[in-house]
Amino acid sequence: MSAIIEVKNLSFGYTPQNTILKDISFEIKAGTFLAIAGPNGAGKSTLLNLLCGALKPKSGTIKIDAAPIESYKSEALAGKVAVVRQEFVPVFGFSVIETVLMARTPYFGTFGFENKTDKQIVTEALEATDTAQFALRPLGSLSGGERQRVFIARALAANSPVLLLDEPTSFLDLKHQVGIYDLLKNAQLEKGKTIVAITHDINMAAQYCDEILLLGANSSYHIGQAKDVFSPEQIEKVFGVRTFVGSLGREKFFIPLGKFAKDSGQITDKHI
Amino acid sequence: MKELLTPKKLIFRVVSALLVLVAVMLVCSLIGTESISLKAVFNGPGTQTANPDYQIFVEFRLPRIILACLVGAALACSGVVFQALLRNPLADPYILGISSGAGLGAIIAVICGFNWTVWGRSPIAVFAFAGALGTVWLVWFIGRMAGRFHVTGLLLAGVVVNAFFSAVIMFLTSIAKSQQVYSTIFWLMGNMTEEDFLVLWIGSGCVIGGIIALFYISPQLNALSFGEEDARSMGVNIAGTQIIAFAIAAAITAVAVSLSGLIGFVGLLVPHAVRLVFGPDHRQLLPLSGIVGAIFLVIADTLARIIIAPAQLPVGVVTAILGGPFFLVLLVKYSRKVSWLK
Repeated sequence: MSAIIEVKNLSFGYTPQNTILKDISFEIKAGTFLAIAGPNGAGKSTLLNLLCGALKPKSGTIKIDAAPIESYKSEALAGKVAVVRQEFVPVFGFSVIETVLMARTPYFGTFGFENKTDKQIVTEALEATDTAQFALRPLGSLSGGERQRVFIARALAANSPVLLLDEPTSFLDLKHQVGIYDLLKNAQLEKGKTIVAITHDINMAAQYCDEILLLGANSSYHIGQAKDVFSPEQIEKVFGVRTFVGSLGREKFFIPLGKFAKDSGQITDKHI
Repeated sequence: MKELLTPKKLIFRVVSALLVLVAVMLVCSLIGTESISLKAVFNGPGTQTANPDYQIFVEFRLPRIILACLVGAALACSGVVFQALLRNPLADPYILGISSGAGLGAIIAVICGFNWTVWGRSPIAVFAFAGALGTVWLVWFIGRMAGRFHVTGLLLAGVVVNAFFSAVIMFLTSIAKSQQVYSTIFWLMGNMTEEDFLVLWIGSGCVIGGIIALFYISPQLNALSFGEEDARSMGVNIAGTQIIAFAIAAAITAVAVSLSGLIGFVGLLVPHAVRLVFGPDHRQLLPLSGIVGAIFLVIADTLARIIIAPAQLPVGVVTAILGGPFFLVLLVKYSRKVSWLK
């Protein structure tokens, strides 16, 4: 399968003096589920903003579907890459269906209205995310998990091959976290979407993602399968925390334990 | 999908609102200190003896009512746009300093004692127009010094420029002669006298053209209500939409201010009232707010003419007294639909 996102020698800094991302190169093949993990301040959200064209690289290139990202007009780029940002409540009370329909804005006719195809796509997105039941409710009246599903529905309705998500499960309880990851995995498997999600949950990433991009301090990075990228040494090096390691079928799992944790004594070199 | 706005629904609502507007205009043009009859008006100007009903209708009532429509529509639509661009329910057309800029322009014109005219406009109106646009440009310039459109920066710039110009206005008011001050204050309170049809047609052209252009970018305004980054990911050209929306909203507000002074409340309340009843979709909010703003100001101005007749109240007083309670009723009735109240 060909690469849908190609990043070559990418560098970025918010000021000329400091550089958050330095000389990063990787490829994401179409239909892959990639997680971006790493400590706070490592540049995960910055990378996501670069991949969706909200920021411009200091140097290096980003290609989406073999064309440089800067060659896309905003409407065309929205047709390639859809973004789900961290959950928030908009000021004015748009309903769920109005929100999802906005993803079709680039395809509206001259007078700013949707056609039958747009409506069909929106209905499918609502059904896929199980949000059709509250389609007419205002976004502000939903719970965090429901709202996040609506924003994913909007990203699906854009009908773009790539979905970028910034910590899609950060405020959700366990049931909703699993629900969101199942939903994303389903979009990958059923619709062939390429999914790039920032996450702090390395266990979830290991279970659901095909590849992991682990950003570390000082612009270091590792990309590969979970079993290669997530080693106890690597996690301790990148996050500065020791973890208890267990294994569950094909993937390992990690429980970070600080020195006052009840079972911190369980972390021995044997486990590492 | 039944609940979604369709072109048919939109056209039906806009046409219904327009019919209500025409009815309100007709009724309001007939009442006043001197009641006139529509039948007499339609008899025409009269050849031998003058037809007073026709004269009152054409020379006094009609221009005033057209002006009220124009100003009401401009302020309401501009309020919608500023609320969307700044993602702030408290935004109104004057939030970025247009009012103080216009006030400053007006008082400078009065103090300098100019007595020329442009298209029949007094120096006060011309200076107010220039002051309003100049101030918006200044606020936009300061707000963008950070390099990009930043809502908080823009709002702060607006507040600072507003405060600074208000101080300058107060300073100039203190050193000016009392008669000069009176004429400025009267002008600032909002007045609805305009006899020159040419000015009205030009003003109407600007405002209607502006509203049509804003309607054209209303789907983008919907997306922008979710923030710039979200709107970008929905394929909206952020910079282009912001500049067009901002420039048109500022221009139609400046036209309204230079024609009628400062009339508060319309630009804040009408968008909210329409949003409460019909929802936040800008494709509908914008045209309906324009028409409801026109209806509201025509009624308010008629009341201003008749409440203490033969004297007249400043229309701004009526808009606040009439608009406040009316808005509260709507708020109580529909508040469950509004997420920012929760």
